[in-house]
Amino acid sequence: MNNILELQNVIKSYYLADEEFQALKGVSLTVQRGEMVALMGPSGSGKTTLMQIIGLLDAPSEGAYQLRGRDVTTLNENERSRARNLDIGFVFQAFYLLTRQNVLENVETPMIYAGIPAKERRERAMWALERVGIADKWRNLPSQISGGQKQRVAVARALTLEPAILLADEPTGNLDSKTSIEIMSLFQALHNEGSTVIIVTHEPEIGEHCQRIVRLRDGLLESDSPNRQIRKAA
Amino acid sequence: MSLVLEQETPRITELVSSGGGGMPLSQTVQIAARAIIGNPLRSILTTLGVIIGVAAVIALTSLGSGATSGIQKQLEGLGTNLLTVSSGSGARGGGFGLVRGGGQQTITLDDVKALREQFSSRISGIAPTVQRNIQAKAGTNNIQATVIGSWSDYALVRNTIPEKGAFFSETDNNGRKRVAVIGYQVATDLLLSVGGKFKLSGITFNVVGILPDKGDAGFASPNTQIIVPLSTYSQRLGRQSSTADTVSSAYIQGKDKNDLKQLQTDLIDAMAKLHKKEVPDDYDFNVQNQADALSSLNQVTTILTLFLGGVAGISLLVGGIGIMNIMLVSVTERTREIGIRKALGARPRDILTQFLVESIALSVGGGLLGAAIGIGLALLAGSALNITPVIGLSSVLLAFGFSAFVGIFFGYYPASRAAKLQPVDALRYE
Repeated sequence: MNNILELQNVIKSYYLADEEFQALKGVSLTVQRGEMVALMGPSGSGKTTLMQIIGLLDAPSEGAYQLRGRDVTTLNENERSRARNLDIGFVFQAFYLLTRQNVLENVETPMIYAGIPAKERRERAMWALERVGIADKWRNLPSQISGGQKQRVAVARALTLEPAILLADEPTGNLDSKTSIEIMSLFQALHNEGSTVIIVTHEPEIGEHCQRIVRLRDGLLESDSPNRQIRKAA
Repeated sequence: MSLVLEQETPRITELVSSGGGGMPLSQTVQIAARAIIGNPLRSILTTLGVIIGVAAVIALTSLGSGATSGIQKQLEGLGTNLLTVSSGSGARGGGFGLVRGGGQQTITLDDVKALREQFSSRISGIAPTVQRNIQAKAGTNNIQATVIGSWSDYALVRNTIPEKGAFFSETDNNGRKRVAVIGYQVATDLLLSVGGKFKLSGITFNVVGILPDKGDAGFASPNTQIIVPLSTYSQRLGRQSSTADTVSSAYIQGKDKNDLKQLQTDLIDAMAKLHKKEVPDDYDFNVQNQADALSSLNQVTTILTLFLGGVAGISLLVGGIGIMNIMLVSVTERTREIGIRKALGARPRDILTQFLVESIALSVGGGLLGAAIGIGLALLAGSALNITPVIGLSSVLLAFGFSAFVGIFFGYYPASRAAKLQPVDALRYE
């Protein structure tokens, strides 16, 4: 089976002032190894909630979720931490680098939690930084580099433990259009190397860089179709 | 921008530790240190309570035990295994070793001789003593001295061995010789050496021995003493009022330290028999043990230590609350960081450890700083008050251990709050 991710009838409800609100009203989605998927929809469509469930930041209220063929809805807190650590590589809109750590240490952080020895950690982090073309900045603090460079660091950090899914939430939302294209080309390159990439975005131009576009509206899947005209970033 | 694809990628998954991994402590300590150093002013203010608490404990206890050991040394300098038989009412009060001026002298020389006879196997020396303040003169120099009349045993019993010359002998006493052993300051003020002459109440005395410098020991300093044979004193210097054969006290040195308590009891019984007193309330004498004075001193010290410990405990408690307060603020401020770390794979335990290590580092750092300040203060105040502070390792360790405990105890609640944060909530936090 080549399904890396399988969601079945996932419902997520919140209670706001005793009133039930369903952010996801039953979403089923399958992603195969090596796919590059755009998760699109206007705000309030439930795409962020879906991203959080896929990334194990949140648990579904109902429905099944299998990651790498394993049921992850019954995991306890420690197991979920470990799954986030090893199976998911996050890239966030606001970069979310640790401000007191330099670039190299930021990239090393997930490997520290995975218990990788220091020497391998350093080598692997430098490899990832080279991979995203920012190895010369390893000594800098996040405050000393540009937004595009920060996002590269975040991508490098997401790569280090060879995750099942690279999960990017509005990765270009805080970047200018030129830098956005550079970051998208980086994702495309990673996809071409075989990484599974899911990009959550509301921007059509960003979605067009992906192989497959999934649209959500009001907590339900609106469409799920291959992208015939993939926009090449580089 | 280079996008050269590297075909060969190091295999990392093999290195992932199977047991669940987790952050090594060294890494956690490093993160904590960075958080503390990153905001030095706030860190200092956070730990101020602990710093002041620990500094106060160490400064006060080391000054206190310095003063205590000073007094203790002084008491021991008065003689070892020392018992004192003195005139007085039955009550066991009265200062130890204090000059007993007026009052009825009830101890007679016959009493002393009888005691010497009776306890000869258990005591190594007995010295009946009388004393008064007399001005000593040599040429144009003079000094107000405490003149003590006693037996030759005084040298042994009261630990007053001359540095130069020798103590007068039994023969000197029996012959009522006008000889004297003088204190260090008497010798320097009157420019006397062994063989020199000086006058007491118009009577010329020969210096046979000079005592070493015993330091300015406060009350009844041995440096201003002049010791003369008791018989000479009685004949030449005694007050008109006092009958010739009474003394103010008799110092007795026990042979065996372990026998001292029993010797004290037996001396009381013997004195009661000699004075024909049957009820303790009627006793017209006291028998005091040097150990009593030491133990009452120790009692005072213990109370003082407990009191200081209480003050320290309260200040460390307040300091701990200060740390908890700031740690709670810190957890709130760093909610985003906690969310990021959780997204990257930190388990609740990793976050708990991180914040706990930080609060422990804060309190222990504050403890160290406080210990340094406390030692500095003790040395400073000690030199101002002329006390040699005794910096006890135990008080340093106690203060240190207590501050570490404060860090754990008051750091746990904020840390567990941080650990329990849901990643999705923590990331959403603005």
